[in-house]
Amino acid sequence: MRLAILGMGHVTRALLQMLAERHADLYRRFGLAPRVVAVADTGGAAVHDTGLSIPELLAVKQRGGSVSALPGVGLPGLSGKRVLTECSAEVLIEATPSRMDAPQEALGHLQTAFCHGMHVISVNKAPLAAALPALRELAAYNRVEFCFSGTVGAGTPVFSLAQASAAGDEVLGVEAILNGTTNYILHQMHEHGSAYADALAEAQRLGYAEADPSADVDGIDAATKLVIFANLILGRAATFADVEREGIREIDPGRLRAAEAAGRRLKLIASCGETLRVAPQEVAVDSPLNVSGSLNAVSLRLRYGGEVTLIGRGAGGPETATAVIRDLVNIWQRIGNSA
Amino acid sequence: MKFGGTSMASAETIRRCATLVRAQDGHQVVAVVSAMSGMTDALLELADAAHHGNRVRMHALLGQVHELHEQAAADLNAQDAITPLLAQLDALVAGISAVGELTARSRDAVLSFGERMSSQLMAAALEGVALTGHEVGIVTDDHFGEANPLMELSRYQVAERLGPRMASGEHVVVTGFIAATQHDVVTTIGRGGSDYTATILGAAIGADEIWIWSDVDGLMSADPRIVEDAHLLDHISFNEAIEMGQFGAKSMHPRALEPAAEYGIPVRMRNTFNPECDGTLITGQAPAGGTVRAALRLKGSALLNVSGAAMVGLPGTAARIFTALAEVGANIQVISQSVSEAGISIVLPASQLDQARTALERQLVRPGIARHVDVQEDAHVVAIVGSGMAGVPGIAARLFTAIAAREINVIAIAQGSSELSICFVVHSDESAEAVRVLHAEFGLGGGTHE
Repeated sequence: MRLAILGMGHVTRALLQMLAERHADLYRRFGLAPRVVAVADTGGAAVHDTGLSIPELLAVKQRGGSVSALPGVGLPGLSGKRVLTECSAEVLIEATPSRMDAPQEALGHLQTAFCHGMHVISVNKAPLAAALPALRELAAYNRVEFCFSGTVGAGTPVFSLAQASAAGDEVLGVEAILNGTTNYILHQMHEHGSAYADALAEAQRLGYAEADPSADVDGIDAATKLVIFANLILGRAATFADVEREGIREIDPGRLRAAEAAGRRLKLIASCGETLRVAPQEVAVDSPLNVSGSLNAVSLRLRYGGEVTLIGRGAGGPETATAVIRDLVNIWQRIGNSA
Repeated sequence: MKFGGTSMASAETIRRCATLVRAQDGHQVVAVVSAMSGMTDALLELADAAHHGNRVRMHALLGQVHELHEQAAADLNAQDAITPLLAQLDALVAGISAVGELTARSRDAVLSFGERMSSQLMAAALEGVALTGHEVGIVTDDHFGEANPLMELSRYQVAERLGPRMASGEHVVVTGFIAATQHDVVTTIGRGGSDYTATILGAAIGADEIWIWSDVDGLMSADPRIVEDAHLLDHISFNEAIEMGQFGAKSMHPRALEPAAEYGIPVRMRNTFNPECDGTLITGQAPAGGTVRAALRLKGSALLNVSGAAMVGLPGTAARIFTALAEVGANIQVISQSVSEAGISIVLPASQLDQARTALERQLVRPGIARHVDVQEDAHVVAIVGSGMAGVPGIAARLFTAIAAREINVIAIAQGSSELSICFVVHSDESAEAVRVLHAEFGLGGGTHE
């Protein structure tokens, strides 16, 4: 399988590392031998039809440079879109930063890949939240696979659980904690009595939160993931604009104390029933959704099976990289079956 | 708002349409336009003439296209936009003529010039901007001549591209009928045409209403040429409109109603030449009231009767009939079979009768599955339509009692399980009378309908 990877952030670096380490393992278990034939970062691209050297790619990023600086294969200034039209990859891995305010560029990457008959794995949430129904339609029209299991729950196989549940039962609704940063902040405020500002600063120090924490604390990240989930699992043709959203920015400590007095905890819950909603809500102390630290939890309400909850880490480079490999194996097996 | 070909017939009518767009104070309007009246047919013929190397006809048609558009462009001061398009068309036609080959793809390219030019004329009249269906984001598959929109993708792209332009108060004119594939190759969307473009755009931008301007006031309770007191239907449902879609060229194609019905956007049919009239409103739910809304007829049909005792109890006979008809591209309008299974009646357009008859004789009579294929030419289909009929007993009894009282012979009958309509076949001489009888029986006369 020939891969084109757009974006050289921490997920891609973890993925490259993993592809190198697990090469023999993937070949032995699945007959899968992924080769990276094109990569692009903000400085340009590197393309080689029989495969780029992973150690060289990682080394140039280690030095803080661009892959386009690699001798012989580097193409400074080449855009992601041009890379896709000019390389021979069968699968695109879209791993540029999720920019909810500007999904257009990444959307263009996905569209170009579909039009050229490439399968796509996206870890970028922004284009999906903006136009998932349109993207799935385009992928189906071009008869290519479109996977994005890393966008929700990272390495935790949230979609697999939900899809398996939905097959034999009926998913009535979902309550979930889809953002680890806000869960960490609320957890600190509840259990250690921290002030909001201190808890946020601590989250930033630990690398959970960005310098600009808006995407997390305003519920944007959780809403994005909820949209993807609703489309895939509940068959709703929803987009980001359909989500009612309330974040935890400067949340009133009084609300937390009131919840505690009632034996409950305040969590940023993404829910999907009649409507799509992200808002702080109280859960019982013994609820499976009362997870600590930066964990994520997804609780499905099934018609016959009752409640099923999956808890796991919802972010991180290596975690998300395992999701990409999971998607890659899935694509490999599906195209193998149909051939 | 969508403007049909007759509304786009000349500079004068185009100005009139522009006035109708401007008159909507406080509303943002997107205009969708058809090609100038007769232009689509002229371009089709032009493409064929070029293909067959008929140079005389080709130049005559090109001359017509030039003259019509150049004149309108001069009146509307749009030469700058029209001249280069005409030059492109000339080059394209010359190319087709030179290679003597006309693919569905190049035919669509030729056809697209009708709307590309009319949209420029309308934009000039409106002092707005003309965009193709492709430029506003409608993407289709690559079935040239009858392309299907990728609806979710189109909806997303149109909302992204048209939304900001509308918010800025710009007058946008969009070509009806034409779009493009994901690889930017021009396509035409076939059935439903510009109406379909209008409903796709309406659904994408979440329009308050979609207005379809043509040269009739709207849908009528019957054809006013045969029923004196036929009246304009002021409000019907999508289901009724879809059921009526087969009857009469001025109704909307069911395919064009689909996006509006799916996203619950009201459609209003109006008359460019009589804008005082409110026209026909089509929504998800029409007001309750009359059980029957309209009595209609479909002319130019023919009836085929396949019969034979050998058909009784023989599985697969119907499948053989339909396969035989599908192979010759026959469009089946009505089907009916008696429980005895000794005969199946099929109504189809008279133009397809001979081919269909031969196909059935070859595939059913020759192997001995059926004994006869009887033909009745000059059959008309008469129908009553109305969602109020569902679950109301006695409608069919009233219908056939009234018909029998006039001694009109009913040849075949069909009713779908949706109960939206009942239709039957009569001889062409009797169809007008049948419509009049039903129109009176169900009280559809002007103002007095139930």
